[in-house]
Amino acid sequence: MGITIRQATISDIQAMQNANLHNLPENYQLKYYMYHILSWPQASFVATTYDDIVGVNDTEVDIATHSDPKGDTSYVRKGEKIVGYVLGKMEDDPEAEDKTPHGHITSLSVMRTYRRMGIAEKLMKQSLYAMCEVFGAQYVSLHVRKSNRAALHLYRDSLNFEIKSIEKSYYQDGEDAYAMRLELDLEKLVPSKIKEEQEQDDLTKDLLDDL
Amino acid sequence: MVTKKASPIFASKEDSNFREALKLYDAKQYKKALKLVEGNLKKHSHHAESLALKGCITFHIGAKQDAEPYILKAVEKEPTNYLVNHLAGLYYRSVEDYHKAAKWLKAANDNGSPNKPILRDLSFMQSQIRDYKNLKESRQLYLEHQPGYRANWTGLAVAQHLNKEYHAAVSTLDKIENIIKEHLTDADMYEQSECVLYKHQILSEAGDYERALKALENDKDSIKDMLSYMEYKAKYLLLLGQKKEASLIYRELLKRNPDNISYYPLLETALDTTSKPEELRLKLYEKLGRYYPRSDPPKFIPLTFLSSEGDLFAKKARDYIIPQLLRGVPATFVNVKPLYLNPKKSQVIEEIVLDFYQHDLPKLENPTVAVWTEYFLAQHYLYKNDLDSADKHIDLALEHTPTLVELYIVKARIIKHRGDYVKASEVMDEGRKLDLQDRFINSKTTKYLLRANKVNEAIDCISLFTKLDEDAINGCKDLHTMQVSWVLVESAEAYTRLYHEYQAKLNELRNCEAEENEELTQELLENIETYRGLALKRFTSIVKLYKIFYNDQYDFHSYCMRRGTPRDYIDTLRWEDKIHSTPIYTRALKGLSELYFELYSESLNDNEESSQEVKIKKTNKKQKKAKAQMNKKKTEFIARVESEKEDADPLGAKLLHDLQNSDVIEALFELFKSLIEEGKDLELTWKVLFKVYLIQGKYVLALQAVKNLNKVLNPYGEKKLREIGSRVVELATTSKNDDKANAAIVKVVEKGLHSAFPEFEQLSTDEFLELYNQ
Ligand SMILES: CC(C)(COP(=O)(O)OP(=O)(O)OC[C@H]1O[C@@H](n2cnc3c(N)ncnc32)[C@H](O)[C@@H]1OP(=O)(O)O)[C@@H](O)C(=O)NCCC(=O)NCCS
Repeated sequence: MGITIRQATISDIQAMQNANLHNLPENYQLKYYMYHILSWPQASFVATTYDDIVGVNDTEVDIATHSDPKGDTSYVRKGEKIVGYVLGKMEDDPEAEDKTPHGHITSLSVMRTYRRMGIAEKLMKQSLYAMCEVFGAQYVSLHVRKSNRAALHLYRDSLNFEIKSIEKSYYQDGEDAYAMRLELDLEKLVPSKIKEEQEQDDLTKDLLDDL
Repeated sequence: MVTKKASPIFASKEDSNFREALKLYDAKQYKKALKLVEGNLKKHSHHAESLALKGCITFHIGAKQDAEPYILKAVEKEPTNYLVNHLAGLYYRSVEDYHKAAKWLKAANDNGSPNKPILRDLSFMQSQIRDYKNLKESRQLYLEHQPGYRANWTGLAVAQHLNKEYHAAVSTLDKIENIIKEHLTDADMYEQSECVLYKHQILSEAGDYERALKALENDKDSIKDMLSYMEYKAKYLLLLGQKKEASLIYRELLKRNPDNISYYPLLETALDTTSKPEELRLKLYEKLGRYYPRSDPPKFIPLTFLSSEGDLFAKKARDYIIPQLLRGVPATFVNVKPLYLNPKKSQVIEEIVLDFYQHDLPKLENPTVAVWTEYFLAQHYLYKNDLDSADKHIDLALEHTPTLVELYIVKARIIKHRGDYVKASEVMDEGRKLDLQDRFINSKTTKYLLRANKVNEAIDCISLFTKLDEDAINGCKDLHTMQVSWVLVESAEAYTRLYHEYQAKLNELRNCEAEENEELTQELLENIETYRGLALKRFTSIVKLYKIFYNDQYDFHSYCMRRGTPRDYIDTLRWEDKIHSTPIYTRALKGLSELYFELYSESLNDNEESSQEVKIKKTNKKQKKAKAQMNKKKTEFIARVESEKEDADPLGAKLLHDLQNSDVIEALFELFKSLIEEGKDLELTWKVLFKVYLIQGKYVLALQAVKNLNKVLNPYGEKKLREIGSRVVELATTSKNDDKANAAIVKVVEKGLHSAFPEFEQLSTDEFLELYNQ
């Protein structure tokens, strides 16, 4: 697919804002994205399609003639466009009751044409791992609309979040939210770890040895 | 806070009044402060300090445009009074004129103000205006004043770094690290980690990888961001030629994130496999694929390097595509689309999917696989611009599953490619109605409505997901507040198309009818004016938005030093320095340039036939009643398009009028100025500037512009492009025929053209144009 999951940088924020505006009714001004990146640079991730590698690797492809980048905000540069993001932060409200360091997911979304292929789950795993490793987050919390089946499935069934409570009329339009939470354990969070038995790179053998 | 020195020329009563007024001003008690200041000015109408303070107060509670004259008068009276300087600085900061603010704050400090926090404020201004040389000095002085805060050390290091004084920056960071080492608490450890990593970023920018690598190992214990640690380390190792060690780090990185495609080529570089036979490379990826079965890159990357001729590509492509179709991954087509850069591969992929379609599908029990396959094929044929085949497949899919939103998206795109924008928007809307909760499909429908020039419907559609202010008819204002730039720019373009349509109708009317139909003409003229004003207004809202984006960094000049995120702060400055070359901004500028050039040619024609404006005002009695009705409609219309509460110019009429009465070309140049640096790789920049310079008679600059354009379009210099040839000739002819032009300049331009395009000297114009026709 040429889809890559990588840490978000400041050059991604216009495209993240754009994706957010396309997918969700809860929106933020650009400065709020800046605030995230400049406060917790490690906590946010993006999914991008990335077709430069084709040009690099495929000697049969001509060097394309010049054309200015498309006037489309999803592009962060020529050949790379953002199709999903997770915007994460640490709790920084001095009034917050719970003083244990914990993270919060401000926003997560994937463009519809790229959904159902595991992108959101991968974004979340990277963000959770980083929050735990870099900021010592002991748990992470988030809100989700009661009616949002896809997100609920992702959080509860794929990522094992627990529903902590229901917050009445949490959203602008009056819908209730589930407040969800996941305790973090760095060992269990390693993103490449999956349930089924699998072959592992033990980092000792020469990769090219038996090819 | 502004500190007051003892002023010998001022009677003590007034002096204490002034002091009091300053205090009140600092406490935001503007009214009371004003009273005292005015008392002073009654006695000494030229008293500079009071004038300056009055200026500042007026900015907060009076008419904003009345404030500056007081400031100007004050600094004219006493240009070296640091108090006056300081107040002037504060005033210009409030109006976000950071250049002037920096100038006056610096003057305050240079003229002996004892108020040290001025230096801190000054450093924010200097960062904002990129005056790095002076920034270093103010950060340095402020650090001397307050050495007890790490933030001030970080601030100095950043300033040194920005001046490319890498070693000084590293030594500043080292110094504070040593001082603070013993006193760090848990809460400081994140900042510590970031500052250490910042040091590495600087070392690596200075090219000193050996030292950087050594230091990285020394600092390992204080680093929390292990991802950066590993990425830095792998990079240093690779650059130092320690490939084996580097490959191990990339393998570790893959364990953390096997979905980051950029690690794979780096791993291959470290393993020296990039120029090995494709069979070996493929085996490497197959192994990685076993380690990371859920990750895409090990499966996808081989498709990029395998030759289209061999069986391996066909086999691997099949292994990649078919399971996705079986699982019903909607993105299957977009996943392989990048490979279509190679037409032979696109051919192979077509054969694979058609073979599956004809031979395997009929045997399958799960009917949804057929739908996703049709969906794939529809997109494939759409890509190839074979719209009939695309239609055939999407219709079959729709027939089978008329409730699948994705199908409507592709169906609408096909129709759009046929040029029927209205129909396309209707189909998209059918899809939208199937999933009213999903904003994505709502956004798509909005976009298609805008493409069909149905702006009102589009805004109504997206308003289902925007905030509605009390008594607002639609979400138009919220779209502005929430910075929905894509809608603003699409609206501007829709309005442009609309007024062009009305212009075309008007021309038709004038050409074919002997008697002018006054009523109809009137209506068309009004529509042209309205939609053109709105187009200008929406494009300009993008320009405004980017001013906000640029000013957004302001708070971070201070925040990031305290928070301890200097690495990303530096990235932010660099990003802001190129923000005007990002997609939406350049798209808006393109639209604006077309509009401005149009206004310019109209202004030339206007001199000949006297114009529309006279007619637009003429009304007779019969029309009065119709007019009243129109006005009511107009009020309603305005309520729909207002960009902010109590928008003083909702239709952009004033904007348009002001522009028509100014030097349009100079105004256009002002807009494009930032692109000279930031957008030097863009075709748009040089095309527009070429035309601007030509009109302004700045032929040497036009010469430079056409040369730059050639560099952009033709980086290897081997092409003879028509777009270049025609401009060369245009420049030569225009400059020669311009009797007002300086003869020496015309000569310089000619010489410049000859040396850049030698054939232009050797050949006749016709022959030259024939040669430059690519
Ligand atoms: C919610 C959302 C981010 C999921 O993105 P995604 O990339 O499609 O999700 P994934 O592919 O990673 O799916 C993760 C899991 O959720 C499941 N899932 C995804 N979409 C689903 C849907 N519509 N219904 C049921 N389950 C769904 C997947 O099957 C997968 O489960 P599995 O691990 O058992 O296979 C995406 O649908 C979206 O952007 N929605 C709009 C914005 C939004 O609601 N954001 C969340 C706000 S809290």
